[in-house]
Amino acid sequence: MKNNIKVERAIHNLTQEELSNKIGVSRQTINAMEANKYVPSTVLALKIARLFNKPVEAIFLLEETD
Amino acid sequence: MKQFIILPNHFKKIGWFILVPSLILGVYIVATGYEFDWLEAKVFAIISDRSLSDREYFRFMDTNITNTLTGVLCIVGAMMVGFSREKIEDEYIAGIRLSSLLWAVGVNYLLLLLAFLFIYDSPFMDVMVYNMFTILLLFIARFNFVLYKNAKYVPDEK
Repeated sequence: MKNNIKVERAIHNLTQEELSNKIGVSRQTINAMEANKYVPSTVLALKIARLFNKPVEAIFLLEETD
Repeated sequence: MKQFIILPNHFKKIGWFILVPSLILGVYIVATGYEFDWLEAKVFAIISDRSLSDREYFRFMDTNITNTLTGVLCIVGAMMVGFSREKIEDEYIAGIRLSSLLWAVGVNYLLLLLAFLFIYDSPFMDVMVYNMFTILLLFIARFNFVLYKNAKYVPDEK
């Protein structure tokens, strides 16, 4: 699974730190997701989507290998 | 996600202050057999023996508690370090915690297997002593290493 959290973060002009504070996770978690090293839980994915005001599918995308 | 109950974050720091000195002392004690003379005390033993033949149950006995105390401090310190919350304990951190435990148990038994095969006689007794603590220590080492690796600053362009 890939995601465009980094792009959305740029659009909303947020640092990793600010984004992590807004959704109540550690900065490591944002870092790991952006590096595609961590697939978030459904709850976390929904929180991120709600913050960016987009449907989940617009931020998290399945890949060929999934 | 419900998780195994863990301690508040500040216990981690207290844990390090207990663990590091007692670990150094512990290694020294195992290596030299040193005992503090002033640490004689009466303890309650569920099982004990004076010689190999006369095992005794449920009695108070006088003994030197250098080993006991050092071991207890090592375990308490290591548990505080290993089972304290991070400042922000989220699902990703919880995942690292679990995978580190799995890793530690696996590595520990691989090491023990090698020790079983290649270490004999009284040095094996030392291995048994160390092995009481290695699962926790490997877990702490791997968990904190992964956290550290992930915390390293990444260029953060807006």
